[in-house]
Amino acid sequence: MTPRLAPPTPDSFTSRLRSPAVAARVGLWLGISFGICFLTGLVSHYAQLPSHPIPFPTSPSWGYRFTQGLHVTTGIAAIPLLLVKLWSVLPKLFEAPPLHDARKLLLTVLERASIAVLVASAIFQLATGVANAAQWYPWSSFSFRTTHYAIAWVAIGALVLHIAVKLPIIRDVLTSDIDDTTHDRETATTPGPLSRRALVRTTFAAAAVATLATAGSTVTWLRQVSVLAVRTGEGPQGVPINKSARAARVEESASSPDWRLEVVVDGTVAGSVSYDDLRAMQQHTVDLPIACVEGWSAQGTWSGVRLADLLASFDAPADRDVSVTSLQESGPFRRTILPANFAADERTLLALDLSGEPLSLDHGYPCRLIAPNRPGVLQTKWVSRLEVSA
Amino acid sequence: MRARLAIGAVGVVVALYGALLFLTRQDPGQWLEVAIWFAAGVVAHDVLLSALLIGLCLVGARLLPAAWRAPATVALVVWGTLTIATIPMLTRAGARADNATLLDRPYAATWWTISAIVVLLVAVSGFLRSRRPRAQE
Repeated sequence: MTPRLAPPTPDSFTSRLRSPAVAARVGLWLGISFGICFLTGLVSHYAQLPSHPIPFPTSPSWGYRFTQGLHVTTGIAAIPLLLVKLWSVLPKLFEAPPLHDARKLLLTVLERASIAVLVASAIFQLATGVANAAQWYPWSSFSFRTTHYAIAWVAIGALVLHIAVKLPIIRDVLTSDIDDTTHDRETATTPGPLSRRALVRTTFAAAAVATLATAGSTVTWLRQVSVLAVRTGEGPQGVPINKSARAARVEESASSPDWRLEVVVDGTVAGSVSYDDLRAMQQHTVDLPIACVEGWSAQGTWSGVRLADLLASFDAPADRDVSVTSLQESGPFRRTILPANFAADERTLLALDLSGEPLSLDHGYPCRLIAPNRPGVLQTKWVSRLEVSA
Repeated sequence: MRARLAIGAVGVVVALYGALLFLTRQDPGQWLEVAIWFAAGVVAHDVLLSALLIGLCLVGARLLPAAWRAPATVALVVWGTLTIATIPMLTRAGARADNATLLDRPYAATWWTISAIVVLLVAVSGFLRSRRPRAQE
C-alpha cells in the first residue's frame, strides 16, 4: 500500500451509512431538540428580565423547573444526535468548489459559510451549555449568559436557513425508504457494519442513554438511574445549593445577631424587623421548587412570612415591583427585582425554615425569598433589604 | 421555491440579530475568545474526532471478526457519545470545595464500570453472533 498524501475527496468515503437518508432522519430530531432548547432558553431569559412587558406568570409553580430541566436534558440528548449527524455528512466537507462557474461558486461559498456558522455555533452552544450545567467555566473573558443567548439566535437562524436550502432533499429522503439510493453519492456503496435503520435507532438509543444518565439532576424519580448527573439531589436539609455562604462572603454578616431586614417604601426607610420579629409574625408553609438555570431542581417545603403580609405591615402599596437586596456585597444577583404579581402571590414567602428546620447558612439564613415559577438565581438568599418603588 | 426563499430569509435575519446581540453586548476582547472557541470546536470535531473515528473504523474492520462489528459499532456510538456529553462531569472540573452538593457522584468509577459493562456486552454479543450458522444480513 502506497501512502497517499492527497487530501480526501467525497469519493474517499465509501460507507453507505454516510448518506442523506441517515442525515435527514437524525437531523429531524436534532432540529426539534434545538427548537426546544431555543424556546425554553427564551423563557429563561425572559423570566430573568428586571421588568416584563407581558407579566411572567406565577403559575404553574413548576413551570420554570419544567422548562429549564427540559432545556438542559434536551441539550444533552442533542449531543449524540449532532455527532452522528455530522458524521453522516462529513464527505461534503471535502467537496471541490465549482471554480469554473462564478454564480455557482458564489452560491457554494455562501452555503458553505452558513454551514460553518451552523456547525460552529451548534458545537459552541452544546459545549458551553453542558459546561455551565456542571458549573465549569473554562473561558476567561466572555459572559456565558450573554454569549449563550446571542449565539442561540445565530444557531437557530443558521439552522432555519439550512432547512430552507435543503428542504427538497429532506422532503425526498424522509418520504422514501431509508435504503433508497436516489440521493446517495455514487461511491457510497460499501455496506457498513450496521444497516442504516440500525444506525439511526442506535443514535436515538444513544440520545436516550445520555438523557437517562444525566436527567436525575432535575427529574426526582430518575436520581437512582442518572449515574452521571451533575448532582445527586442531596444537600443540607434535603436540597442542593448553588452558591455557598462562603462563596458569597456573607458568613459573618448572615450569622450576626444584629441582622435586621430593612423595608424601604418610596425611597424612605419605613422601618426594619429582626429575626425574632419575623418569627413572631403569622407563619405559612408552601411546597415550592428551587429550579436553577443550570438545569437542576428540587422540591422543598418552606415556611416563613408571606412577603405581602410583611409589606402590608409597613403600609407599602401591594401592586408594585419589589427590589430584594442580599447581604452579598458583590455579584450580578445581589439585588433582584420581584415583579408585582410575584410579590402579591400568597405563595411568595420570606422563608425562615426549610424541611421544618431553620434555614442553614448556605440556604440563606436568616431569611430568603422563595416564590413560585421563579428562576433559582433570583430566589435571593440572605435578604437584607426590601424596597417598594413609588 | 418562494416559500423556501422566505424561510431562508427569516433564518438570515434571525442569525444576523444574534450576531448583532453578540457584537453589541460584548467587547472586542470577548469577541476574540468566542471566535477562538468557535474555531476550536470545529477543529476538535472536524479534524480530531473525525480522524480518530476513521482510524478506529479502519482498525475495527481489520481486526474484528465480522460478527463482532455490529455490536462494536453500536457500543462505540452509545458509549462514545455518552463520554463526550459528560466530559464536564467526568473531569469534575467545576467542583468547588465549599459546595458538597455539586458534582457529588463517583463519576470516574461509574465511567469505568460503564465501559467495562460495554466491553462485556460487545464480547458476549460478538461471541453469540459468531456461533450462529450465518450472520443475519
